[in-house]
Amino acid sequence: MWHAGGGFEQARGNSSDDGAQLNLRPRHLLGLLLAGLTVLGLFASPVDAADFTIKVRVQNQVKDATTGKSTKEPIAGVKITVTGADGAVVGEGLTDDSGLVAIVVPLKAAYTVTLDESTLPEGFALEDGVPERSISEDNFLTDTVTITFFTGNAERTSVGYWTQLAQRAADGARFGLILAMCAVGLSLIYGTTGLTNFAHGELVTFGALVAYILNTEQHLSLLFLAAPIAIIAGGFFGLLTNEVVYSPLRRRKIGLISQMIVSVGISIVLKNVFLRIVGGRPKTFASFKNQVCQQMGPVCVTPRETITAVISLVLLVLVGVALQKTRIGKATRAVSDNSELASSTGIDSQKIIRIVWLVGGMLAAAGGIFRGLDESASPFLGGGLLFLMFAGITFGGLGSAYGALVGSFVIGLFVETSVIGIPIAPGGGLPAPFSWLHTGVPSELKVVPAYVAMIIVLLVRPQGILGRRERVG
Amino acid sequence: MAAETVKTTLSETATAARAALSGVEAIPGAEKPDPVMTAVGVRRSFGGIVAVDVDRVEIQRGSITALIGPNGAGKTTFFNLMTGFDTPDTGTWSFNGTSLEKVAAHKTAAMGMVRTFQLTKSLTKMSVIENMKLGATDQSGEKWWNGILPFRWRAEEHAIEARADELLTRFSLGHMRNEYAGTLSGGQRKLLEMSRALMTRPQLVMLDEPMAGVNPALKQSLNHHIRGLRDEGMTVLFVEHDMDMVHDLSDWVIVMAEGRIIAEGTPDQISSNTAVIDAYLGAHQGKSFLEDM
Amino acid sequence: MLAALKNNPKIRRRAIVALVVAALVVWAALSLHLHWSLVATATLTAVFGVDAMYFAIAAIGLNVQFGYSGLLNFGQAGFMACGAYAIGMTAHYWHISFWWGIPMAIAYATVFGLIMGIPTLRLRSDYLAIVTIALAELVRVIVRSVTFKKYFNASDGINGFGKTFIETTPFNQSGRYSLWPFDDSVNLFGRVLLLIIFAGMSVMLGRLIAERIRRDNKALRLVSPFVMFGIVMVGAKQTEYGGLGFKSLIVGWLVVFVLGFLVYMLMRSPWGRVLKGIREDEEAVRSLGKNIYSYKLQALILGGAIATFAGMMFSLSRGSVQPDNYSRDTTFFVLTALVLGGLAKVTGSIVGPMVYWGLSQFLSVFLFELTKAGGGRVELLGIPIISNSSQIGAYVQIALGLMLVLLMVFRPQGLFGNRREMALDGR
Repeated sequence: MWHAGGGFEQARGNSSDDGAQLNLRPRHLLGLLLAGLTVLGLFASPVDAADFTIKVRVQNQVKDATTGKSTKEPIAGVKITVTGADGAVVGEGLTDDSGLVAIVVPLKAAYTVTLDESTLPEGFALEDGVPERSISEDNFLTDTVTITFFTGNAERTSVGYWTQLAQRAADGARFGLILAMCAVGLSLIYGTTGLTNFAHGELVTFGALVAYILNTEQHLSLLFLAAPIAIIAGGFFGLLTNEVVYSPLRRRKIGLISQMIVSVGISIVLKNVFLRIVGGRPKTFASFKNQVCQQMGPVCVTPRETITAVISLVLLVLVGVALQKTRIGKATRAVSDNSELASSTGIDSQKIIRIVWLVGGMLAAAGGIFRGLDESASPFLGGGLLFLMFAGITFGGLGSAYGALVGSFVIGLFVETSVIGIPIAPGGGLPAPFSWLHTGVPSELKVVPAYVAMIIVLLVRPQGILGRRERVG
Repeated sequence: MAAETVKTTLSETATAARAALSGVEAIPGAEKPDPVMTAVGVRRSFGGIVAVDVDRVEIQRGSITALIGPNGAGKTTFFNLMTGFDTPDTGTWSFNGTSLEKVAAHKTAAMGMVRTFQLTKSLTKMSVIENMKLGATDQSGEKWWNGILPFRWRAEEHAIEARADELLTRFSLGHMRNEYAGTLSGGQRKLLEMSRALMTRPQLVMLDEPMAGVNPALKQSLNHHIRGLRDEGMTVLFVEHDMDMVHDLSDWVIVMAEGRIIAEGTPDQISSNTAVIDAYLGAHQGKSFLEDM
Repeated sequence: MLAALKNNPKIRRRAIVALVVAALVVWAALSLHLHWSLVATATLTAVFGVDAMYFAIAAIGLNVQFGYSGLLNFGQAGFMACGAYAIGMTAHYWHISFWWGIPMAIAYATVFGLIMGIPTLRLRSDYLAIVTIALAELVRVIVRSVTFKKYFNASDGINGFGKTFIETTPFNQSGRYSLWPFDDSVNLFGRVLLLIIFAGMSVMLGRLIAERIRRDNKALRLVSPFVMFGIVMVGAKQTEYGGLGFKSLIVGWLVVFVLGFLVYMLMRSPWGRVLKGIREDEEAVRSLGKNIYSYKLQALILGGAIATFAGMMFSLSRGSVQPDNYSRDTTFFVLTALVLGGLAKVTGSIVGPMVYWGLSQFLSVFLFELTKAGGGRVELLGIPIISNSSQIGAYVQIALGLMLVLLMVFRPQGLFGNRREMALDGR
């Protein structure tokens, strides 16, 4: 991987030379993949900044009474002060029209960022009431740290419970679909090879970043060019991971636990290769910006959300049908169930594994692109989703393809809807430790119920909701 | 089957065991005068395939009982069920009159019921003596709070080591004491596993194919050791395919086929039992019963 | 030694290769006009530094779980956070002496270990990996949440705990200190303490290396600790630390050795024997009447409780608790450091983190100096490698991640492990 990583920029246009140097078996695959990687390297702009920067953003959050969606508006003219660990002022400034101020600091070190509340416009107050933020050295993942202060005159105007729930369920379903796309490959790879791939998140990131570079920096249409290219590249990237790393390891009879740790190393390497190439700042796609949501029944969805949801659903249904009906799909399930038995019936399990990596990589890339559209693309995108993917496939049943689909979907849905409580005790009459049941989980903690669900499933039905008992022991 | 040849060398305990079993009817599920283990209505199926379905079986204390049957008859599964390594769907089973339902595998061993495995599980990356010491059940240093304080377990360790050395010598493994268990031959591993099991001071020893893959010379010595266990008052239940060995060694034979117990009796009674012959013939599609045995 | 060099062609070949490599390195080093003394000081400082210290504690804990018992704990950062927050909360929430942090940390680790272990330790080993990594992330999400700010102070982290510990330091907060025991600033007690730590380390390392070179050479076993002691002392003279966290550094290394000794004793006890048995084949051990599940839980919790000291010492040395120090990457890097040192060896779990941080710091400072010398850019054969010093971190991590991969494939026993005893995949 080092060659591939270090060679992004040197691989400009002559990727095949690089492939020859690496001396790999399936050379044609490598060429394709390096071409994909080149796409990343070729158009990436190097991050150039002399010092370290603390960017502070001040925004007012307004929640729309009917849709429940919040919009953010910048606030200008707010005074921000950065002080060092010794209390000395390092820099200060006023936010500009986009609500931003950049303060240059000399070192990666601990700082305190203070917002002067008296400079806030009349009637505005900080949402959490805390005008200070601490930055530690570790926050400087890149040369820039961004801090956001939210003000909120945003009381939650009461929206009907069911409307809120419907909105959340719609968002959750979409997130569930994305999560399922990311996780199917993870689960199938586990099923067919036994490997728990800790670098699967990086396959997701890969898709998002390739699509971002093609879309935003190369101005290709996301839907018709950037995304399809990124998805195909993602598939070949997955395949390459198998051919270069795991397939040789299997041939060398290196155990699964060692392979798992290798995947940890691969994850570290890839994440940092991405970081080096595109930098750590969150990236927004050029397409589908500033979407306005349209009312559809009780829910309000943007065209982007509709399109991604439909595509995800189509892709997942295709995968499901392929697994059920096609020869390869059936063979995949057979290998997943019992690879020795499957190979004794003449199934070429190595071929199936290659297909699983290819398709898994493609789906992960697609999931990454859609996730990147919802949030933003960054080198950390996939790694952050990995935990929920794990929760999803454990919930659904490790190694079971349908389990991964269903489990991830349910987990995604659960994450989004858990912020809405259950109206069991009108007026919030539950005692403190249980009041969240009524009010919903704070959105910063919305992943908590998903992990709790995973633990509960492991306790009562360790094979997962769709797994089989014999697999567990 | 040379049935008459062995009778000459019977030891005192063997005579006693055979005398106790002489009044027992040779039918499946026969009641024994002094059962150490009893299983009633034990059933286990894997995804619709019934692996074990035993109505009743008793193991006579102080005897050597052989469990035979064609491949896939459910012998190993039966072992797993009895020792808590697997749980039956239905049924009750007891050891020394204590019900073993919901008793975890490690507790059955502590109660005096120890088993070995068909594929030997010697811990190859530990030395032979460490393997042996692991079998001891009376080492208080196996609690972590004692573990840090060597003076609290050193005396016990010495006693255990002495006992382990004694067993190793008896099983002719003394010279391999400090070698990694991985360096032992297949037969030696079988011996190690058996002697390690004896470290738990069991009352009932369940041996899963102790002779498989063992060379003929070592077989004779294993044979001898198993008899020795009975002489020390232990009960032995073993799975075996070598019919000469079964005939030579056992006081009682239980035959399983397709998960059920199809016959019981003394070795002589079994070798003339038509149900047994049918079972083997059925399972082996026309291969000669005798040849297979 | 010399006889071996003469008689054993394998050793001779190795010696020649080592000499050639060393010569090449020296030649390359001299041809690059860098501040090598700066690089050396930074590297040696890192070898004995706070990061190596707290990683060593965490690795000792992980070694109990993964190295000796085969438990794939990927949530070590969560256990470390238990320690850090136990000690932070004494000031932020409970307002009691920070010493209460220790029993509380152990209590948190026990609860956390139970939550992780109970659902997973009966299942196949990969379940533990998946659940631990998710639950450690859960801990981070919770401690940095505004909802629980009352307890954990959210993303701001906690400062101002252990004041008595930090303020009673004999060291000048703005001063610079080295680990050289005969420095003027070190009092008699400090001298003795440092010498004990160094002597312990030298004996440990020296004997291991002697064993590696020639198993039964008594003279070598006797001499090698002294040689090691010399090397350690020369290294220590090069180090340079700020006065602020210096006390915690010294105390921390002492904790490393105490915990290391504890684990060493435990693993030589019958308890450790059962764990090694479980690592290789749990069914066999279960058939001998041991409660596998309970042993695995004990190992998980004990390793976690040890890791809480990593969180505590790290927080004390910095004077602050930050939730993002306990992310997934922390776990991964502790794992890398442990694998580098050698699994199932106490020496490995202590030296691994030292080498890991030495390497990491060496690469960082070397690349930084290289960038500085190149006027802010580094090019190799006309290809721009570094165009900004902020990119160095990514390269260092790429190198370390790659090292983990290569170690797992080509040298799973790391620097000090015993390949014959490696039972990684014993289930």
